[in-house]
Amino acid sequence: MPLIELKNLTKTFKGKTQTVQALKDISLSINQGDIFGIIGMSGAGKSTLVRCINFLERPTSGSVIIDGRDLSTLSPKDLRQLRQQVSMIFQHFNLLQQRDVRGNIAFAMEIAGMKREQIDTRIDELLEIVGLTERQHNYPSQLSGGQQQRVAIARALATNPKIILCDEATSALDPTTTTAILNLLRDINRKMGITVVIITHEMSVVESICSHVAIVDDGRLAECGTVESVFSHPKSPAAKKLIYRSSGADIGMVGDRMIRIVFEGSSSKEPIIADLITQCHVAVNILFANTRVVSGKIFGQMILQLPKDPLQQEKVIYYLQNKNLRVEEVTEDAL
Amino acid sequence: MPFEKMLPLMLNGIKDTLYMTTVSTLFAYLLGLPLAIALVLTAPSGLKPHALLYRILDTVVNIFRSIPFLILMILVIPVTRFIAGKAYGSTATIVPLVIAAAPYVARMIESSLLEVDPGVIEAAQSMGASIPDIIFKVLIPEAKTSLIVGATISSGTILGYSAMSGAIGGGGLGQIAISYGYNRYQTDVLFVTVILLIALMQIIQVIGMRISRKTDKRIRE
Repeated sequence: MPLIELKNLTKTFKGKTQTVQALKDISLSINQGDIFGIIGMSGAGKSTLVRCINFLERPTSGSVIIDGRDLSTLSPKDLRQLRQQVSMIFQHFNLLQQRDVRGNIAFAMEIAGMKREQIDTRIDELLEIVGLTERQHNYPSQLSGGQQQRVAIARALATNPKIILCDEATSALDPTTTTAILNLLRDINRKMGITVVIITHEMSVVESICSHVAIVDDGRLAECGTVESVFSHPKSPAAKKLIYRSSGADIGMVGDRMIRIVFEGSSSKEPIIADLITQCHVAVNILFANTRVVSGKIFGQMILQLPKDPLQQEKVIYYLQNKNLRVEEVTEDAL
Repeated sequence: MPFEKMLPLMLNGIKDTLYMTTVSTLFAYLLGLPLAIALVLTAPSGLKPHALLYRILDTVVNIFRSIPFLILMILVIPVTRFIAGKAYGSTATIVPLVIAAAPYVARMIESSLLEVDPGVIEAAQSMGASIPDIIFKVLIPEAKTSLIVGATISSGTILGYSAMSGAIGGGGLGQIAISYGYNRYQTDVLFVTVILLIALMQIIQVIGMRISRKTDKRIRE
């Protein structure tokens, strides 16, 4: 049974002049122990989607089932109690400015009604986990962005949650700090078995730590699957766009017919392109190539411009497919 | 007026003025704080939106805020008599002072509470905080600095009102200024009271600002 199940979720915001349908019939399930990425362009509805998971936003229709409990059937009190199991961290950290690090971590436990001594020992443990023991008496204004996010993570862990929701948690951080925070989240996922849901607009975040990904486009679920399969074989236009863009393959690439091939680290030892040229006697133009680490595996990807002759084009594609490579067409508007 | 007579008169005036100001400020906060919290909660973007209640509170506050203090004092004389037993003197003046100041204080507190980062409130909600949790652990502590600045400004305003009340039977420095300076043309008394009022205002301001700065943890050291 999945830990989080969203069924036919819709959310409509009614304004005075217009109504906005932020979510359109979204269904997906997230299993215990997943690091689940939800990615989309800004305005795609992903922030609304994550707020539906803990009912900070009530969906207009559809249901959210966490650990077998339908949230819409819970009383306000039960819902507050459930939220202690579903922590959340935010893009702008959202720490209490007038409390120090210890006070901020204590806050979550005070709400949960824990005893003072219990809170104090738990804070020490949490400070250890996030590596902020020497900063425990500092106030948020004295900390860097990365340190503030660590406080937020400690606060989120305080009540031993089953799930941590991350709403663009690394979007306000520099690349080095982003990596450090993502590594911390992965450690938490591995060591404590906490399910992590990551909302982001950056494919690199998904590639580096997520096991599964859902792509949200204009309020709809465009595609969903393991990060590996979506990366190497994106089906929807939204997924293609995100993946090509994050590869850096977006500048001035125009060709008659382009294909993208993706290969796992192991097959990259073979000189595929050289073999292709000698065996098929066609010239292909490499427009773009790089390697990326996706879910811990090395992947190579290439965008090739095919020769003009349609017959030769088919020959190339046939040859590559026979080599067990994933081949897909790249259209100009996807770049 | 000779100094030996002026000194006890002024000391008494200061005492009465401070008495009216502090007690009125205290009661104004006792009424204004719940009123402000109700306004913030029931507002359309609040935690418990309630259009009707919000509109009623909002209108009542606006009505009281728009009546000039001197006129309000006259209007509420029956209420003052009912509560204080008489309509003149320092203690009686506290009644109109509170009625005038409470809506003002409520607006000050409301604006301080609205300054609290909505993201922090959302974070508290995501942790399962109840509305009382949010009020007492988030809104008020996070707005602390701004609330203290507001209290400084409010007590300054109440000090001014208390002096104004001297015109129709209130006590304190205002009454001294009017009965000696205005009615008996004793300009020296008038000047001394004005200087004392300025000094009191200054002291309140300096102390208030110092406390607010000391309690603010947002400033990098």
